[in-house]
Amino acid sequence: MNTDARRYVIIIFFLLVGSIYTIRLFYMQVIDESWTLRAQEIAEKRKQITPPRGVVFDRRGKKIVANKTYFNLMMVEENIKNFDTVAFAKLIGWTPHKVKSRFWEIRKGEGMYYNKHTGKTTTNYQKIRAYPFVKEMSMEEMSAIAPYLQNFPGFYEEITSMRSYPYANAANILGYLSEVNGDEIKEDRFYRPGENIGRAGLERFYEKELRGIKGIHYIVTSALNNAIEPYADGKYDTIARQGPPLKLGVDINLQAYGEKIMKKKRGCIVAIEPSTGEILALISAPTFDPNLFVGKRSIAKNYPRLINDPSKPLYPRPLSAEYPPGSTFKLIQGLVALQEGVIHPETGFPCTKSMVGCHNHPQASNVAEAVQYSCNPYFYYTVRKIIQQGRRKKQTADAEIGLEKWAKYMHSFGFGEKLETDITGVRPGLIPDAKYYDKWYGHHNWSFSTIRSISIGQGEVKATPLQLANLACIVANRGWYYTPHFVKSIGRKGPLPEYRKKHYTMVDRRHFDPIVEGMRMVVNEKGGTGGAARLKNDIVCGKTGTVQNPQGKDHSVFIAFAPMNKPKIAIAVFIENAGFGGTWAAPIANLMMEKYLYKKISDKAKEEKMMEANLD
Amino acid sequence: MKRNDSIAGNIDWGLFIVFLVMLLMGIANVYSAAYNPKFPSLFDFSQKYGKQIMWVAFSSFLGLLVFLIDASIYRKFAIPIYLFCLSLLVVVLFMPSVNGARAWLGIGSLGIQPAEFAKIGTAIALASFISSINVRQQTVNTVVIANIILLVPMVLILLQPDAGTFVVFTGFLFVMYREGITYDPIILNLVNLLPGVRFKKTWVGSHFIPILFVVIFLSIITLLMSNNIITFSFLPGVEIPGFFGVIGTLFTIGLSSYLILRFFVSKRDRPRITMIVVIGFVLCSLISSIVNFGFQGLRKHQKDRIELFLGLREDPDGEDYNRNRAMAAVGSGGFFGKGYNNASVASVESNHVPESETDFIFCPLAEEWGFLGSFTIMGLFMFMLFRIIQIAERQKSTFNRVYAYSVAMILFYHYAVNIGMNIGFAPVIGIPLPFFSYGGSSMMSFSVMIYILLKLDSQRGDVLG
Repeated sequence: MNTDARRYVIIIFFLLVGSIYTIRLFYMQVIDESWTLRAQEIAEKRKQITPPRGVVFDRRGKKIVANKTYFNLMMVEENIKNFDTVAFAKLIGWTPHKVKSRFWEIRKGEGMYYNKHTGKTTTNYQKIRAYPFVKEMSMEEMSAIAPYLQNFPGFYEEITSMRSYPYANAANILGYLSEVNGDEIKEDRFYRPGENIGRAGLERFYEKELRGIKGIHYIVTSALNNAIEPYADGKYDTIARQGPPLKLGVDINLQAYGEKIMKKKRGCIVAIEPSTGEILALISAPTFDPNLFVGKRSIAKNYPRLINDPSKPLYPRPLSAEYPPGSTFKLIQGLVALQEGVIHPETGFPCTKSMVGCHNHPQASNVAEAVQYSCNPYFYYTVRKIIQQGRRKKQTADAEIGLEKWAKYMHSFGFGEKLETDITGVRPGLIPDAKYYDKWYGHHNWSFSTIRSISIGQGEVKATPLQLANLACIVANRGWYYTPHFVKSIGRKGPLPEYRKKHYTMVDRRHFDPIVEGMRMVVNEKGGTGGAARLKNDIVCGKTGTVQNPQGKDHSVFIAFAPMNKPKIAIAVFIENAGFGGTWAAPIANLMMEKYLYKKISDKAKEEKMMEANLD
Repeated sequence: MKRNDSIAGNIDWGLFIVFLVMLLMGIANVYSAAYNPKFPSLFDFSQKYGKQIMWVAFSSFLGLLVFLIDASIYRKFAIPIYLFCLSLLVVVLFMPSVNGARAWLGIGSLGIQPAEFAKIGTAIALASFISSINVRQQTVNTVVIANIILLVPMVLILLQPDAGTFVVFTGFLFVMYREGITYDPIILNLVNLLPGVRFKKTWVGSHFIPILFVVIFLSIITLLMSNNIITFSFLPGVEIPGFFGVIGTLFTIGLSSYLILRFFVSKRDRPRITMIVVIGFVLCSLISSIVNFGFQGLRKHQKDRIELFLGLREDPDGEDYNRNRAMAAVGSGGFFGKGYNNASVASVESNHVPESETDFIFCPLAEEWGFLGSFTIMGLFMFMLFRIIQIAERQKSTFNRVYAYSVAMILFYHYAVNIGMNIGFAPVIGIPLPFFSYGGSSMMSFSVMIYILLKLDSQRGDVLG
């Protein structure tokens, strides 16, 4: 038997194994990426460094949102030895039971994660890992317990950064931070569980700017999870960068003053600089201290209380509340009528009181006087002329064309559509158009007489206080506006491009003069409804409003701007359930304007009366 | 002097140089795998790299002795050497156990592992026995004696227990196969017991060993890969089921082995070789298919058991910890590797891969040098193995040939199992990678094994028989 050929069997066997192994090695090392990922999972840790958020300044450079250092009390179970639960509970001021349940919570809760490979939720709790035992302790709290921590091996402090508000104002503008939820983590890989995200207001709108850029350190870790060395000598590391500071148009002193006046009242004040569209103050009453919403513990404590408060302090009224604009709307009706040519500046209408009610006042012989006296029948006739221009024989078809045109005018003034203000919670208000009424009454089944209450800013028409303040701006500017906005500059950049674009209304410059004159007379002439808004040194132009409120007492409204010829401030004041606009809203607007223009108040008695008034 | 010259002249430089290259690479690799920043010197004898150099030096001294002693001594003293190894294997069973095995003779780290040296003893004994018989007239007795020579150390090693070395000893079955010691006489006796059957020889009996191993090897590979889906990062969307991957691999190997053999085989043998390759491919595919579809047809709990045995069940942080970490280290190497001393998974400091300087030495190597490095290692080993077979086949003496084949098979087993467990093709059984793993006993035994082979080869002209 010749066995020499059997060497080939062995050679083939060697070749078989050698080539299968080589192919396998090539596949594992060069083609298949999954082992590289697995190795990263095992040995490399990305340590993210979260920078402090960008800070916020007011228009005069005062810091209104700052960062404050807080501490987490960290725990590493492996290092805990001879743990005295009672003594530890006493040190941190908890009950022993709470300490025990916190341990349980960390093991079961914070260690849990969803493993996408197995499709199961498993606990990733590791005794060698650090977990926050108590989150967000203040410097005072931590310094009280820090000296005793050495008695509890396995516990140590870690610094974190949180928001603080040196002025306890502007909560509804600034918004607040809270922990990201699962969907947000899924949507944006920037966030990790436990991190904060802007939840409302500017914090939310400017989240991407304020959060800054995270730094990432790649570290090689050992089987015991200790960091050994920077991965690849830090070649892939990036540096954390704090978000740019935001400079607001808000005057924090004016804001604070407004909030002080609006205590014990419900309603809002919006003040805008007409020449730039920057919001000077935006007060929602009642409001709350933004410091209540700093940190998970505070939010957990205060949020339920505030959200369940029947006076709705969390509701940003100036942006979200849609009220009928009342008589302030007569300004825009007059402007539209002048532009449409259905009236002249000198047109007069008798105060008949037949179709709509009115108070006793002299006859309005021109538009300015109509504004001054706020004559309801005058604007009833005026708007009827806008809506029913006689272009169609059929009354209802004619009204349809007229209303569509009217609605277009309204939209050009920013009514009935959302102003693109840089904050969340802005509502559009409502300008009814033909489609809207068709739905209610049926096609060609309505005419001006059906919808006449829109002529005096009642009925279906709704506007937010922000839109009314913007109306004051438009009149102050005689025909144009910048979209009202908060942020003047982001770091070294100016405001967002959309706030550098002038919006012109459909009403020509020349038609504004009689209306402005009317507004001047409202405040400065005898028989005007807004005398309480008068200033000594500057001419205030204003318009009162009294919004019929089926649920209770009428709302008091006043919009104004001053000075008349070089407007520096436009304002809308809205006081809920306060009755006639001239009684409450006008003097409050007056105080705000005086505070802004002269930094001091001359009539202390009026100030005190307004502050003390309890209209809640 | 003249004698030494003749050694230098007759020495197989190819094998010797590959051997030296591997030793040097091995030291460099242990230096990286066991690097201690407090003791940066390569020659620090308190550290594993310093010690490894010491072992290499000591092995070289033993090699010098081997070269000075006449080669005929192994043949003359084969039985005493074999019995001495067996006695060490017996003595070691009475030693205190270290890590659950009574494998160490001596104190602590200065001990030796008799099992490592028993390989040499068994190889010499087997060579001596086979050279003393006429394989053309073998009986049941010769088969039984050859198997006893093999089985006695195997049983003693299993008693330690040392599963790795036990598996390595099965390599001798291939040596016996090559020499014509087959199970044919036994199978003939059994088959001829059937009434009316009178075979003179059986094909199964004479090729029993390789067939058995091919079946086992292919079955394991098929089972490991049948549930996988092979994807390519450069060909998104292309997914090859694991079974077709196996068949494809077999086809590639069949084709390439045919092409290789075409140029090395004489014209006379070509039809036969072609037939063997074709039949081999068909049979291998058949085995793979049977295993694959047979496995799919199993009941769930049976499947579970097999999967658990093969380590197919994902339990990366539990029982499969070592292999998973090792595979991550190897797989993350990429094409060019992470650079010398830059391993992140298999480095000493991180310690994710345990025993990365001994049994898992391939991990730091493959991680730091990437596919280039691992391909080089594969190439060096394949070169060494083929060189040894070449040496074996040129021996006039049966003793020398059997010994050379034994060396080839032992090295092959160590290499195949050790690297196999790093790439998920072999279960984790602790056996060292020759010339690379840290350890005195393995370094000495592998070196002496090679030195004896070189010595025998250098004197191949002296001995006839």
